[in-house]
Amino acid sequence: MTAISYPLAEHTLANGLRVIVSEDHTVPNVAVNLWVGVGSRHETQGRTGFAHLFEHLMFQGSRNVASGEHFSALMDEGARLNATTWFDRTNYFETVPTGALELALWLEADRHGHLLDAVTQENLDNQRDVVKEEKRQRYDNVPYGSALIDIYATVFPEGHPYHHPTIGSMEDLDAATLEDVHAFFRAHYGPNNTVLTLVGDVTPEEGFAAAETYFGPLPAIELQTRERHPQLPPLSEPVRLDRVGDVPNDRIYVCFRLPVDTTPDYLACQVAVDVLGGLASSRLVRRLVRTDETAVAVGGWTMGLVDGVGLGTITVDVSVGADVEQVEAAVCEEIRRFLDEGPDAAELESVIADTERSWLSALASIEERADHISHHALLTGDPAYVNTFVDRIRAVTADQVRKAGAAWLDPASRAVVRYLADTSKDIDQPDDTASSDKDSEEAA
Amino acid sequence: MTAVTRPVVAPPEPWDFPEGSAHDLPNGLRLLTYDVPGQYVVSVRLGLPVSLRDEPREREGVASIMSRTLDEGTAEHTAEEFARLLERKGVSFGAGMADAGLSLDLDVVKGNLEPALDLLRQILTEPVFPQTEVARQVRTRLAEIEQERSVAAHRAGLEFVRTFYAAEDRSSRPTGGTRETVSSITREDVVAFHAEHVVAAGGTLVVAGDLAGLDVPTIVEAALGGWSRGPRERERYLQHAAALAPDRGRIVLVSRPGSVQTEFVVGAPGPDRSVEGGWAPYPVLGFVLGGSPNARIDAVLREEKGYTYGIRSSFRPRRRGGVFLTSGSVRADSTAESLRLLVEILESGRNGFSDKEIRSGVDFISKTAPGRYATADTIADEAVGMALDGRTTAFTTANLRDLATVDRSRVEAAYARFADEAGIGAGAPGAGWTIVIVGDASAQLEAVEDLGLGDVTVVTDA
Repeated sequence: MTAISYPLAEHTLANGLRVIVSEDHTVPNVAVNLWVGVGSRHETQGRTGFAHLFEHLMFQGSRNVASGEHFSALMDEGARLNATTWFDRTNYFETVPTGALELALWLEADRHGHLLDAVTQENLDNQRDVVKEEKRQRYDNVPYGSALIDIYATVFPEGHPYHHPTIGSMEDLDAATLEDVHAFFRAHYGPNNTVLTLVGDVTPEEGFAAAETYFGPLPAIELQTRERHPQLPPLSEPVRLDRVGDVPNDRIYVCFRLPVDTTPDYLACQVAVDVLGGLASSRLVRRLVRTDETAVAVGGWTMGLVDGVGLGTITVDVSVGADVEQVEAAVCEEIRRFLDEGPDAAELESVIADTERSWLSALASIEERADHISHHALLTGDPAYVNTFVDRIRAVTADQVRKAGAAWLDPASRAVVRYLADTSKDIDQPDDTASSDKDSEEAA
Repeated sequence: MTAVTRPVVAPPEPWDFPEGSAHDLPNGLRLLTYDVPGQYVVSVRLGLPVSLRDEPREREGVASIMSRTLDEGTAEHTAEEFARLLERKGVSFGAGMADAGLSLDLDVVKGNLEPALDLLRQILTEPVFPQTEVARQVRTRLAEIEQERSVAAHRAGLEFVRTFYAAEDRSSRPTGGTRETVSSITREDVVAFHAEHVVAAGGTLVVAGDLAGLDVPTIVEAALGGWSRGPRERERYLQHAAALAPDRGRIVLVSRPGSVQTEFVVGAPGPDRSVEGGWAPYPVLGFVLGGSPNARIDAVLREEKGYTYGIRSSFRPRRRGGVFLTSGSVRADSTAESLRLLVEILESGRNGFSDKEIRSGVDFISKTAPGRYATADTIADEAVGMALDGRTTAFTTANLRDLATVDRSRVEAAYARFADEAGIGAGAPGAGWTIVIVGDASAQLEAVEDLGLGDVTVVTDA
């Protein structure tokens, strides 16, 4: 076992900006990572997708920076950069050669402090079009592309912050105005709603001083915070959604509400989902892929969230010719058996070893390390989580897994989303031992 | 509030790719080690010069099925047991075929390197390819073929190789085989392919990570010293140049009724790393034309027009010859206009480049190198990629040095060489390109034909 002990130094500027520096001089680069405490969970009905559209506008210029210059000025200095929006936050990041750290902070401070000087209707209209293409590319023009959207809508109740996806509704985006952009910026973008993490070739003293120089002049905003939602209970009965259409094979998503991220019960559920479907040796892989041969692939994953609920999902790609109802019944049977028995020692050992390697792999690059530090500083208040996560997983007992599983992963509280191949188009479908012309690779 | 002055950037120091150490084993395996302090997950990569061209024509895909079944049961363990053994040591393992050869990837925490290499020994030397596991991998591949066909970007890629490469060349067909060839693969085919090709001669094993306190050559010898050399000597890389289709310069439209977006692949033959005038200008060209949101393509198609989320161009070298590819998707009703603009921009290299564009490309590629090669996995991937290309990572460093000298005249000369070889820009617009479009043919065909960029063939998946 490898001891994880990345150094962490934290300092809060007078305006509320939390700055975390993790020194690592192995490469002459610094990862600059900002997490702003606004995501799609803060959006209201009729305004969905706005946090993400706004993130695009952050690249279209600010008081002292021309449209597109954020990208070009940093790339010219050897930066790799981007931004992402998610339920709980918006993230801006670049990895720069050490000598370009101050430029990166200057550019970030300019847009995080003075974006509105440069926002125009033209930029808003253009980026709205770009976001629509992003949605078409990622969701609409891909088989199963809308599965996550359907999962959120099925698992989380109407009106809940996670009921709608971050990409949002295109009708809502059409309705977005410049006034919305101004109001959104003023409500959410300020140093006291932001974490800045620097990882790499910089000392804490240098990092804090540079943060003060560039972000120190930004005023704190009047932050309207609401309490996070109370924990949602598991679903009271199974719910389901079927989509029939042009997909290559039937796919089942068996989903559960989970506790919020980093709680002991969430971690125990994470272990349970790994044992059930997350590893190559998982129970559902053995049962459905190896023994029954009714599935070609099985997956299991959890999504840690903060606003009153998390998400756990088992995915099954159903084999051609297998009965999708029987496959779902087998999933439920295996889950019940697991909740009864709990994990054995070898299963726990596998989860711990896999978690350790994948976590260390994630932290191996300074950019991903910075991202995890920002994540926990902003959302759970504990940036040192990067150093303790594997120990927390290691400390989870079989009994905790069984109990948390019984509470949260009971098949009676599952949500099932199914993407089913439209068989109405297949006339005289031959049995699966024949290779029909219809399925041939050669076309026309 | 007073404005904060824009800071001046101190230029970075010149940088070299990490130095590796080579160690040849008696069985012909070459070990390359890279000690990267602070990288606690060790990345192991094995590259074998196994050619797709060695697959029997009617069994294409056998190399891929073989690679995926390597860890599905050994002399000592069943497939299920072996999966558990890997996981209990926290080993992530994968294997796959590509044009350059067979690659095995293994990542493990430093403390478990020794047991992980023993598992690798079993994978390489003791696989038994159980009938049920081979049959399962065949079924999985058949499902994957359907998946790939249903994803527009994959579908475009399949049609591109079929149009671009000569029909008799292996490169014109899917690496993992077609439904017809994969369906007929048997356990005996897999066993035979493994016995003949998965041998130590000509292999390169890379071990990268924090190696302090580890005697890697001794550990590797203990694990893999007994691996059979095989019946003959083998070069460490494959030499074959793929033959191109004589009629590759045309447009193929794969019909997808109702598509809300149209997927493009636009390609032409490109150079390999041994090209006259040096390789360094080509990544710069790819960057300037389609490598960033400010590149020529996205400046128009994304930032000005809003037709796309992003389109990317790059030169992809093989050991002999290569390809210049541009791909991405656009809003369906902008298909013809986007294609017209795309070809116009790709051909605009004939009119030259600005010093500023070239400076941006050179700076981005050279200054990002230390960060791009900072982790054990990226170092190991580069090292094994170079080995299968008949090079070492000394090329990576030398190329970065040469890149620093690349200017407008070298890039313009490189573009001219590429365009002349490909037949671009001399004749009508569109000449020399292979263009694949996946989208709604009934809605787009006429407008695409009206562009006059070349003959359009419509392909319909039944």
